[in-house]
Amino acid sequence: MKIFLLLLFFTVSPALLNAQSGYIEVNAPGSRLLKLAVETPLSLDSPPVNLEFVKPVSGVIAFDMNMSGVVTAESLPPQPNAKKAAPSDADFVLWQNAGFDLLVRGEYTISEERLTIEFRLFDVINRKLIIAKRYLGTAKDLRRFTHSFSDEILRAITSEKGVFTTRIAYVSTQTGNKEIYVMDWDGHNPLPLTKNGSINLNPDFSPDGREIIFTSYKRGNPDLYRRSLSSTAEIVLSNRTGLNITGTWSPDGNKIALALSKDGDAEIYTLDKDGRHPTRLTINPALDLYPAWSPDGKQIAFVSDRLGKPQIFVMNADGGDVRRLTTSGSYNVNPRWSPKGDKIAYSRMVNGSFNLFSIALDGTSDSQLTTDGNNENPSWSADSRFICFSSKRGGNDGVYVMRADGTGQVKVSQGKGLFFQPVWSAH
Amino acid sequence: MRKSIVASLTGISMAVLLSGCFTSKEAVKNEEPVVPAVTAEKVVPASPSEVAKAAETAKAAETAKVVESAKVAQAEADKKVALQNAKNATTENKFEAVYFDFDKSDIRQDARDVLSKNADLILKSTSVGNIQVAGHCDDRGSAEYNMALGEKRAKSVQKYLTTIGVNAEKLSVISYGKEKPAVKGDDEAAWAKNRRAELAIIK
Repeated sequence: MKIFLLLLFFTVSPALLNAQSGYIEVNAPGSRLLKLAVETPLSLDSPPVNLEFVKPVSGVIAFDMNMSGVVTAESLPPQPNAKKAAPSDADFVLWQNAGFDLLVRGEYTISEERLTIEFRLFDVINRKLIIAKRYLGTAKDLRRFTHSFSDEILRAITSEKGVFTTRIAYVSTQTGNKEIYVMDWDGHNPLPLTKNGSINLNPDFSPDGREIIFTSYKRGNPDLYRRSLSSTAEIVLSNRTGLNITGTWSPDGNKIALALSKDGDAEIYTLDKDGRHPTRLTINPALDLYPAWSPDGKQIAFVSDRLGKPQIFVMNADGGDVRRLTTSGSYNVNPRWSPKGDKIAYSRMVNGSFNLFSIALDGTSDSQLTTDGNNENPSWSADSRFICFSSKRGGNDGVYVMRADGTGQVKVSQGKGLFFQPVWSAH
Repeated sequence: MRKSIVASLTGISMAVLLSGCFTSKEAVKNEEPVVPAVTAEKVVPASPSEVAKAAETAKAAETAKVVESAKVAQAEADKKVALQNAKNATTENKFEAVYFDFDKSDIRQDARDVLSKNADLILKSTSVGNIQVAGHCDDRGSAEYNMALGEKRAKSVQKYLTTIGVNAEKLSVISYGKEKPAVKGDDEAAWAKNRRAELAIIK
């Protein structure tokens, strides 16, 4: 049942990898976005074996790259005479005349169950190979291979590590109960985790992406549980009297911040990762909950209604130096710190509907990111490029993804049921 | 032995009471069935054979009747009555819910009256065991904040009940936030019914 991913680097000449970050000129003439053509992969078998399930991969790369916002991408059939791994000069001329700066060509062979697929990224203008990768696996690995090459493209263009192979955990009601699921970032391969028929809420990934914590009523009280994604065993992390909610892993994985009400009302505590040694951080008759770690682990943002209505505050990770962050709006919740550390995304309720905002740590640059429908529970991708969130826009509540500036909003969750409380895994 | 008879009587009387509510008193406001609840406890012990039945049997009958009559009501009665019955079915007890203002957890005047009646039921009955107060919210606002708010409501009720004489050790609280609405709907009528605290006997 283990999935094997074999990456074979090849053909990339040292000259192309001259250790320069951001190898490609990102600015195309006239400062338009670079245009990327992604060819439907070719069969290298002879005679050609046309596999229907391979065809969508060009669309997967185009979707990833369009979402990245660094290029505009189109999935297109190969040029009519394309047969070989390396495009001919004639191919390049055709793509260049069609207005494209970059080209992804894919080729595959299949023997029994084993699929070999190669992707190559070309600079159309200079007719040069930029990067190539070959992946060996089975059909079910195909989407992950493809996302992995999207990461390579993004790295070649921006020198940044992409998140196209990461996942999103969320709550869905498709069985009639709120259960925890995990899916690829683009909504494919949904996998149920909990199946207890109770109420399960607020999943959060461990920094290594292998485990989640979540709150469940499965034993009656809202307790905090921890489980590995690869097993069904769930261990109780905190079943203290009252609420054990909004748990979130510290960036180093050693602590968990959460809200407990064991001492009266909801207060922020940290626990060891095994659930022991609660340390109380807030001491206030108001409700304090929904902690969010700064990426360096030194500060925690949280929600408190100590001034009457819920607002977002920031404190040191030992509970000291509490200061109010949000000053606009009368109901601000769901803070999440960007992995780059410069912003906090949150949701604000106005007239009964939530919209997402992001704000700088000094309280400036408070910007509205969504305007359509009801939008809650933002969560950043590990590269701070994207935010996932739950949204209800006419239809059912779904998981949406957008760029961190609010552009490119798209629903990624699929299938029946309502979707809530998405959280993005680390790399 | 004596204790178990009392327990059975109470179980049976609750069953009778609940079935009575659904058949003949569907339209009755939810404040009213409280009074017959007390009297019924004294009237029912007519049939010794029934008394001999185990408490579980009575309990099962009660559940079955509630479910059955809730179904009938859903189909026939107007929406309000149906929803009220559904609520009764889920709470499975004779305590009335109390309601709250938006984003508030203080006990309103109308809730004080209801809680006084509930407290009387608890104090007068010898069989009522531990009571769990469940706090709920309407579906506006964040799920997480509402979880904390629902608990605050439940604790307000807990505190009020103890100030009017209920033994604090009998009372526990839980919050369901906005996860278990009593009624569906996106209007004030629905929201007002969902901002509530319910009392239930815990086994």
